[in-house]
Amino acid sequence: MPSIPVRNFGKHGDQISALGLGGHHLGNAEDEQTAVQIVHEAVDGGVTFFDNCWEYNRGKSENWMGKGLKGRRDRVFLMTKVCTHGRDASLATLMLEESLRRLQTDHLDLWQIHGVCFDNDPELFIRPKGAAEALELAKQQGKVRYVGFSGHKDPAIHLKMLATGFPFDAVQMPLNAFDATFHSFETQVLPELNRRGIAALGMKPFSGQGAPLQNGLLTPDEALRYAMSLPVVTTITGMDKIDVLHQNLQIAQNFRPMTPEEMEVLRQRCRPVAADGRFEHYKGSLQFDNPEARLAHGFPLDAQQMEVKEMLKESENTGRPYPEMKS
Amino acid sequence: MSQSGFQHSWKMNRRAFMKGAALATAGKLIQAEGVAQTSEQPVGPTGASQAEVGRVPERPLGKTGINVSALGVGGYHLGTAKSQQETTEIVARALDAGVSFFDNAWEYHQGESETRLGNALQGKRDQAILMTKVCTHGRGKEVGLRMLEESLRRLKTDHLDIWQIHEVVYDNDPDLIFASGGVAEALLLAQQQGKVRFIGFTGHKDPAIHLRMLAHDFPFDTVQMPLNCFDATFRSFEAQVLPEVNRRGIAALGMKSLGGSGEMVTSGMITPEEGLRYAMSLPVATTISGMESLAVLSQNLEIARKFKPMEADEMDALRERCRAFAADGRYERFKTTKFYDGDLGRQQHGYPTAKELPF
Repeated sequence: MPSIPVRNFGKHGDQISALGLGGHHLGNAEDEQTAVQIVHEAVDGGVTFFDNCWEYNRGKSENWMGKGLKGRRDRVFLMTKVCTHGRDASLATLMLEESLRRLQTDHLDLWQIHGVCFDNDPELFIRPKGAAEALELAKQQGKVRYVGFSGHKDPAIHLKMLATGFPFDAVQMPLNAFDATFHSFETQVLPELNRRGIAALGMKPFSGQGAPLQNGLLTPDEALRYAMSLPVVTTITGMDKIDVLHQNLQIAQNFRPMTPEEMEVLRQRCRPVAADGRFEHYKGSLQFDNPEARLAHGFPLDAQQMEVKEMLKESENTGRPYPEMKS
Repeated sequence: MSQSGFQHSWKMNRRAFMKGAALATAGKLIQAEGVAQTSEQPVGPTGASQAEVGRVPERPLGKTGINVSALGVGGYHLGTAKSQQETTEIVARALDAGVSFFDNAWEYHQGESETRLGNALQGKRDQAILMTKVCTHGRGKEVGLRMLEESLRRLKTDHLDIWQIHEVVYDNDPDLIFASGGVAEALLLAQQQGKVRFIGFTGHKDPAIHLRMLAHDFPFDTVQMPLNCFDATFRSFEAQVLPEVNRRGIAALGMKSLGGSGEMVTSGMITPEEGLRYAMSLPVATTISGMESLAVLSQNLEIARKFKPMEADEMDALRERCRAFAADGRYERFKTTKFYDGDLGRQQHGYPTAKELPF
């Protein structure tokens, strides 16, 4: 069986699979058994990069991945993210302990700041007592090997994070054939990361929810190959079904980079509908901003969002200050 | 994760914000210089001294040669008022107080806002500076001209004083508007035919999009934009667009002085008087405010009648007070989310409806 190509993790020697398994969708799997099976088959198929986040599906994503990786932890490069969204380092440290417990491990390979989406997030991150201090501490304590940040909103905010001067090992961002011509991370952020030797992690190769595939604009093969052909370490994609995993494994196992000409043709094909952001709602709508981020920044919650429904159900959240909510 | 941990951090965070706001006043001098420059613009506020006592002051509408009231009546909320009768009363009382500027748009409440304003202005059309907007959202001049005829019919008039392109908020809108056969051609044609006197555009999203529109050097008479004490430090139209509009002698029309639906006031951040006076103290021709009830109208009329421009240091103090909370855009969601983007525009740009994509 052909295997998924591996690449260097930025300036570091670690070898990472060019396809990464997204944590959010793992929590959307039909049940725990399916999620565990997805993790097992992904590892067997050559996926070594595993993405997750403290707030995905209110902990379910981390819990299920932890179960799936039991006995396989050493074979993977495990990342999760912390959801301070501008709040204090002390909160970040509490979240880290909870993530480690859920993931059934004593350390993370990569710990990232999640959802850097608001204009003032960089200032809140780097301020005294901000989350930057938690990243440093966790690294010193050996609980995390590398640190980074992630966001889906605006290249300018990513550049502001880099301008804080904090020594990030990795940066995650949306990279796909639509992004290439609309508020583009590919043109504004990716070259800067490559220049600095920071590991670039791509996400949303299918624009987050696969709308361009459903519209027949792109085939899964074209979309994933485009993202994987960029100068990134890995391309993280959500796989909530075994079928989807198999499809992506096959593309990744047979991967050959697109030529620059092929990439340009694809960009041009997408350009007319990329221009108003219709296939990248995460850049211009609150829809993709998680409830923790909205809470921390005083934005209204969306009652239809799964996390919010679960938040409201869970007694541990009773009495938390909920701002305005649209139902 | 304990609940108290979250509560604690939430409160800490708010304290940190407040502290940030206090520290930010260190930049006062620079801000004050900025204000001094803008207040020297030729179309700056005339102030109460030139206004007839008890009436809302007037200002020149850019280079057009006409004057408009410094407070304008927003058309969207005329369709939100509880009845035609209340709308008629709002319009009559506004005119009596010296408010001449009336805003509207073809798509507000599926035409109800225009219809109501048309009814309310029966016999009073000459007292009003009447504006409405065309809602092509990327479609061409033919669609625009049909909308104009419909607007004129609903507004019961044979001409508009100002006709603007509505909701220029998508990144490719400028390209679509100025494409061959685009709606920019409809604006010029309508002007030649005498159906509209002056032309302009509006949008609430991004200063960069406004600047791209202006870069076409099209003969716009008016440009509408959000202007308030939060905008001043967040993706700022005040800092980026207003000086350019003034430089070109185009009339600036301010909107969303209290956040669009009063969010800045209901949250307790500012008083209506602070918000409205701040917006009216900028170098704009008018500040358009949505007033869906006589109570809101009375409140705004009182502020506008006794209006004296804020001093530069007063404006600076207000900006600084709002700065920390302006920084993530929570009071200006029209800039960063789909909240406020109309369904017709979404449809033309292939976006889900407001119900499907609420933000």
